[in-house]
Amino acid sequence: MAERQAQAGHPSTAADSDSELVDLARAGDLDARETLAQRYRQPAYLLALQMLSNLDDAMDVTQDAMLRFFTTLGSFDSERRVQPWLFTIVRNQVRDLWRRRQRRPGDSAPDADSLTSQLVSSGPSPEADLRRQQLREEVWRALAKLPAEKREIIVLRDFHDLAYNDIAQLLGIPIGTVMSRLHGARRQLRARLEEGGRHA
Amino acid sequence: MGPGASYARGSKKEGVMPDACGRTFDETFLSGYLDRALVQGDEQRVRVHLEGCVSCRALLDELTSMRDATMSSTFKLPRDEEWSETPRTGASRLLRGLGWRLMSVWAVVVAGFGLWESWQDADNLFERVLLVGGVSGVSLILISVFLDRRHAMKTNRYREVRR
Repeated sequence: MAERQAQAGHPSTAADSDSELVDLARAGDLDARETLAQRYRQPAYLLALQMLSNLDDAMDVTQDAMLRFFTTLGSFDSERRVQPWLFTIVRNQVRDLWRRRQRRPGDSAPDADSLTSQLVSSGPSPEADLRRQQLREEVWRALAKLPAEKREIIVLRDFHDLAYNDIAQLLGIPIGTVMSRLHGARRQLRARLEEGGRHA
Repeated sequence: MGPGASYARGSKKEGVMPDACGRTFDETFLSGYLDRALVQGDEQRVRVHLEGCVSCRALLDELTSMRDATMSSTFKLPRDEEWSETPRTGASRLLRGLGWRLMSVWAVVVAGFGLWESWQDADNLFERVLLVGGVSGVSLILISVFLDRRHAMKTNRYREVRR
């Protein structure tokens, strides 16, 4: 794994807009496909990692999701945003994996440490950064233990910075439900952190 | 202060606000306020309430702190070469496709020649039965895998991913 960082949800700006790239990729332009892949596979990987807390599973899911993304480009409206579409595919893949795992109880449960071990520390002041990093680790550890429905909405909003209407489309829920579900999830995350604080 | 300690203050039960709070809006609006997702009127109502309500301000601070921790996180990412190698240009895709076809033909010819030689060299009926049994078994397994793959392709639910 490279010690590289990326702020998911903010793919690097390029001269070609997504809709142009999608049109070109649909027409068989391999460079356009490669540019789209490079732009979006990392956010997709991070979403998979945050949902699965397993590096190998996240990589597999992302590979499959990118493949499906390109095979379903024909039915994609190029005026829409690529990221919510790709995230829908990633989410479907993750849920399929969970369904398969439920049929095989021997498989391991999500491991919060696998996720927090992938966090990269940053910041100019080592001491302040250490405190911030500890807090991040606590938050991600608590997130990994939340039910999937709660975890995904927090991750989509707070890490990937998706708007409420994108989240509503992605999760297939009314936009009015997004705020209440998100607040409930944040409440539960806060309760988990409180439990962690009491037991620390 | 430990990382979880900042969340322990108050020790309120989840979802329960103090009786004296006097909010006139649903608590979920605090998340909407945090995300700047409220309409102007609701945002104004929340802002005015927050000015006079210590407990709601404390809750909002905690939610903000959690959100900032999540938002400012960065993760290690796979190197470019860790992603599966796919042909990047038309020429490499053509060559790879040609290579696979040639290799498939070569494998069939070599396997056929080997089988023919084995059949000719077999000394008795038992050896021929072993040969036919083994080849038939492998062939049936390969055919069943092929049929499963074809069925999976036809019934692939992602052909039209829900938008």
